[in-house]
Amino acid sequence: MTLHSLPGGGSDGADGAGAELAGTYDIVIWAPEAAVDLTKTQVADFNSSNEYGITINATVEPVSEADAATNMITDVQAGGDLYFFAQDQLSRLIQAGALSKLGDAAVEFAKSNNNAASILAAQSGSDLYAYPLTADNGYFMYYDKSVVPDSDVDSLEAIIADCEAAGKNISYELENAWYTAGFFFATGCHSDWVTDNDGNFISIDDDFNSDKGLIAAKGIQKVVTSKSYVNSSNADFASGSAVVVTGTWNYATIKDQLGDNFGVTDLPSFEVDGQSYHIGSYSGCKLLGVKPQTDATKGAAIARLAQYLTGKDCQLARFNSFGWGPSNKEALADPAVAADPTLAALNEQGSYAIPQPNIHGSWWDIAKVIATDIRDSDGSESALKAALEKYEQSIQAVFTMSDDVKNAFTVIGSINGDGWTLDLPMTAEGDIWTSNEAYTMDAGVEFKCRQGKSWDVAYPADNYVVETAGTYYIQLNAATGEVSLIPA
Amino acid sequence: MSKNRHHMGIKTLNRLSNSAIYVLLVIISIIWLIPFIFIVLQSFRVENTYQVGYVIPQQWGLQNYINLWNSDFKRWYLNTFIIALAAAVFQTIIVLCMSYTLSRFRFKMRGPLMRFMLILGMFPGMLTMIILYRVLSDLGLTQSNAVPGLILVSVASSGMGYYVSKGFFDTIPKSLDEAARVDGATRLQVLYKIILPLAKPIVIYTILTAFMGPWGDYVFARYVAFGTSAGYNVAVGMYSWLTNDQINNMYTTFCAGGVIVALPVTILFLCLQKYYVEGVTGGAVKG
Amino acid sequence: MKRKKGTDPEKSSVRRKHKSPKVFFKEIGALLKEYTDKGYLRLSKLQKFIYKILAFFKAIPFAIARFFKNIGVCIKNAAISVVEEFKDIGQTFANGDWKTRVSFFVMGFGNIARGQILRGILFLLFEIVFIVYMIVAGGYWLSMLPSLGKQGPTQSYDAVLDTYTTVYNDNSFKILLYGVLTIFFIIALIYTWRLNVKQNKLAEQYLKSGKKLKSDKDDLRSMVDEQFYKTLLALPLTGILIFTVMPIVFMILVAFTNYDGAHNGFSNNLFSWVGLDNFNTLLSWQSAGGGQSYSATFGEILAWTLIWAFLATFTNYFLGMFVAMMINKKGIALKKLWRTILVMTVAIPQFISLLYVSKMFAKNGLINLTLKDTLGWISQPLPFWEDPMWARVTVILVNIWIGIPYLMLITTGILMNIPADLYESARIDGANAWQQYTKITLPYMLFITGPYLLTSFTGNMNNFNVIYLLTGGAPTNPAASGAAGSVGYTDLLITWLFKITTGAESQYYLASVVGIMVFVVVALISLIVYNVLPSIKNEEDYQ
Repeated sequence: MTLHSLPGGGSDGADGAGAELAGTYDIVIWAPEAAVDLTKTQVADFNSSNEYGITINATVEPVSEADAATNMITDVQAGGDLYFFAQDQLSRLIQAGALSKLGDAAVEFAKSNNNAASILAAQSGSDLYAYPLTADNGYFMYYDKSVVPDSDVDSLEAIIADCEAAGKNISYELENAWYTAGFFFATGCHSDWVTDNDGNFISIDDDFNSDKGLIAAKGIQKVVTSKSYVNSSNADFASGSAVVVTGTWNYATIKDQLGDNFGVTDLPSFEVDGQSYHIGSYSGCKLLGVKPQTDATKGAAIARLAQYLTGKDCQLARFNSFGWGPSNKEALADPAVAADPTLAALNEQGSYAIPQPNIHGSWWDIAKVIATDIRDSDGSESALKAALEKYEQSIQAVFTMSDDVKNAFTVIGSINGDGWTLDLPMTAEGDIWTSNEAYTMDAGVEFKCRQGKSWDVAYPADNYVVETAGTYYIQLNAATGEVSLIPA
Repeated sequence: MSKNRHHMGIKTLNRLSNSAIYVLLVIISIIWLIPFIFIVLQSFRVENTYQVGYVIPQQWGLQNYINLWNSDFKRWYLNTFIIALAAAVFQTIIVLCMSYTLSRFRFKMRGPLMRFMLILGMFPGMLTMIILYRVLSDLGLTQSNAVPGLILVSVASSGMGYYVSKGFFDTIPKSLDEAARVDGATRLQVLYKIILPLAKPIVIYTILTAFMGPWGDYVFARYVAFGTSAGYNVAVGMYSWLTNDQINNMYTTFCAGGVIVALPVTILFLCLQKYYVEGVTGGAVKG
Repeated sequence: MKRKKGTDPEKSSVRRKHKSPKVFFKEIGALLKEYTDKGYLRLSKLQKFIYKILAFFKAIPFAIARFFKNIGVCIKNAAISVVEEFKDIGQTFANGDWKTRVSFFVMGFGNIARGQILRGILFLLFEIVFIVYMIVAGGYWLSMLPSLGKQGPTQSYDAVLDTYTTVYNDNSFKILLYGVLTIFFIIALIYTWRLNVKQNKLAEQYLKSGKKLKSDKDDLRSMVDEQFYKTLLALPLTGILIFTVMPIVFMILVAFTNYDGAHNGFSNNLFSWVGLDNFNTLLSWQSAGGGQSYSATFGEILAWTLIWAFLATFTNYFLGMFVAMMINKKGIALKKLWRTILVMTVAIPQFISLLYVSKMFAKNGLINLTLKDTLGWISQPLPFWEDPMWARVTVILVNIWIGIPYLMLITTGILMNIPADLYESARIDGANAWQQYTKITLPYMLFITGPYLLTSFTGNMNNFNVIYLLTGGAPTNPAASGAAGSVGYTDLLITWLFKITTGAESQYYLASVVGIMVFVVVALISLIVYNVLPSIKNEEDYQ
């Protein structure tokens, strides 16, 4: 362990904090079962090597990265102080108040050490909420060489034919949006969600329901209507599959299952109307999150530990122990990493992969249905279109509201001390909108009246500031944009 | 019977139908036993740890049981055992109090009380999980203290399950109570000197069901103990072995764990089966 | 309940042949209009059957009307008794002596002054605890209840330490929880206070008429004698109140808030009251996304829940009975062995057996692999969990596997209780096995197990374990999934509720509304069956 890889060793403010941070801290770390022992060792290393005099007394609990958000949301107070999680949970965790924003120096550390895709994964709006831990959360193809010859691995059609002929299965979890999306990326579609700094979703830009999307749907159709199709991403080679689309985490098992017939490569291409499309994928990360702390010193000490655990040496140690692909730039350049077969496949697939952005929780449920719809349809082009049409309606519904709601004005502000989260209803008489209730406001309370719960139309331009405390009705002239207070 | 003796046809028919029944029973027995036999077989498979398409292990061994011993399973097992034991004692006391009272006493609020509990029982219990978690969390009985928390909740709400044993108490003649009361015994004396000895089947039935319940408790137990392995029970701990990221490593260990969990419970159950049957038939249907 | 059956079975079957359709239905119609025993007995078997069904539906509106009428009567009675209570309290104060009057303010004073020290101290203690609680905490919780909190958590940045620190403020969840508890406490106080007033009045009357009051020793003795039921019920009922009633009240209230993952009331945003919005969302026919409205999704799941509950209950019931009869049959050996084998599924924890079975039926599970590779009977795997129809049938079949043993145990006992001479005389009359079954066994069983069937039906509606452990609701129902989360074809209302709670958005408020709807459905079914069943039962051919 070298000290210089620690952040704050330079000239940024953290240096001065050294002495204040000295002390012993009891914390809970949630790590996936496999990483529990290694994490314990790494914490011990941190204790003996850090320059601040921090001693972390850590209890490491086995909690899967996939369950972190569900557990955290149940009760943030009882959650781990430091926890591993998969990036798709980022916005849920931010919304639940389960992630502490990174300080300026920490942001600097994370950005300078990790690759760009992993930073994107940890970001909401312009703020960074977690430390990148791996950059291997993607998928590619494992295959059984005795069934699928190497010459066929680039063509989806050939692979399907091989498997059907041999009576073997293709494990491809297409009824899971994470895998479904790959076909759409292949044809150039995109689905981008925009979040603000608080983890709230503002809008979506998505063109899955388009001509390009239809081509992707036809590609999906080829797989899901095959008699070989199994909706799974497990290591199924021992139970009848000859092809499994999954990620690095199944490497050891699959290697064991296939022995000499082990094959791994990027995803194949599919052909529609004579044109070939290379199946895309999401590339994602695992992140390390810090729970918000009420004690500043403890929070800072945990942040130092988090930075250590996501540094080059710890990432390499995890690669060596269980093959987790690093996000750290220096670690990525390590020859052993570059030579790893699964990471090589991931790397090949990388040119067709889209860095996974922050995605609304409902999207996973909405998009996973596309493949099911296609499978259950009569297979006609119009049925495929209908499936995409329904998809679009569903995601728009996450944001769209009825016309009444869209046109209505509401009051929002620090009136209830709720910090601009609650829209208070108003009622219209012609152009004059009046709040349904009178509110007791202190001097200095600020608010705005906005339409359709969005900021497109909001009055007054600058926040209205209450001058004298009292109980008022709030009134808005929607024609002029004038806001006034009516004493109750 | 005597009338049919000289009808040879009926006798043959009877023999025929008996053979048919035997065939059916054998088929049923096979269907019923197969999953359990498979679990046992797979728990001894050591050549690999994931799901495979064959049943008989290629290599036999105890590796999976050794893995169990080295994991947190011991702790989960102990937790579950403590919960089951406590539930068996306290739940039985509560249920017996409740059912004896509702069977023997006639007081003003009896009818409304029973109707009220019937209505309460119609709410899906799942709903109250969140709030129960919070209450336990305020009492400090979650995560690593999940065991007393789970005991508290299961015992506290067990009064609702008075139905079966009340049905049983109803079958014990009231004249016995009255005779004893005439002889000057208090209600308390009537209970432990006369009723309890007669109610042995239902007492054992209640103990048995209370003891068996915690072994399968998953949803609430997971909710209360999340994130703290030391607070898991067997169901919560073992369920995590079948999640996607662990099933390939832990599948056979899961089978071994299943055997270890099922063995004592099943033996206990089979030993006390007689009382269970008496309890169910005496109580469940007459309630 | 029992009706004399004077008619000869031969006669009715003869008459049936000659009935024209017109007469056939006219007789049923007449009977529906006005029931007579004679008219009923004149009917043929088919007519009786049709009559029973029609009578069942005819009775439903009456049952519902009776229910509402009962509610009306209850409200009226309650109102009257409240007025009576106040009158009585007033009179007690006006006519009481000074001890009684002081007791209005210092609870238990009268008891202590009249020598019932123990009772008095308990009353007084309760009052003191209440006052202390209200001053220390209760007042705060109560005052916050209308707003559910004013200030959410705030964050600040410490540049030197390079860290964000959070200050947690109000906690909507606790406010709601302790607010509810405080209200419970206040109700308990009012009740106790009323008890205290009543006791004073009684004590005064007793003393006036020269009777002796019960001493503390008498009180204690009666706790194990006349009042023994109070002693026995105290603990169980306290438990139920705190761990069942209070949470249900709380969750009902949550249905009127916006409590969800994004408003968890403490670590992010506070939640607040939203009135009936959530009910509007669930019950309106407006589409909430996914092309299907919540109400349509709810309806679809409800329909399957009812079908499932019906099939699960009756397949188990009849097959369980059938298996029990096979084992019980005279001349079948090894009865104990057969029973023991079957009972294994009752003994082994469901999470083991069901999880294992679920993996067995998977597309790449043991059964498919055996059929396909080992035996070569099929060329492609059977879609046990992939196809909606297959999945639904499979869960019912597996449920039979789980349920038969239990039913077998229950029915074995009852079957043995059927008097043997019934069968004997039936045999002498030349009844075959099927006739014996339909004439004796089945009516007897149905009569005895009627209430059990109902509880088992509602139990199956809420059978979380079987569905959750077997399929988790799969396969996905594309039409119903959407903004309401992922919904599967085998999802019951209870598993859907669980998914809403633990799903991506953690919509606790919606789960709460769905929970209330589940209650309404279960209550309605129980009510109808309870009200209608006895009248149907009267007509049962049961002796």
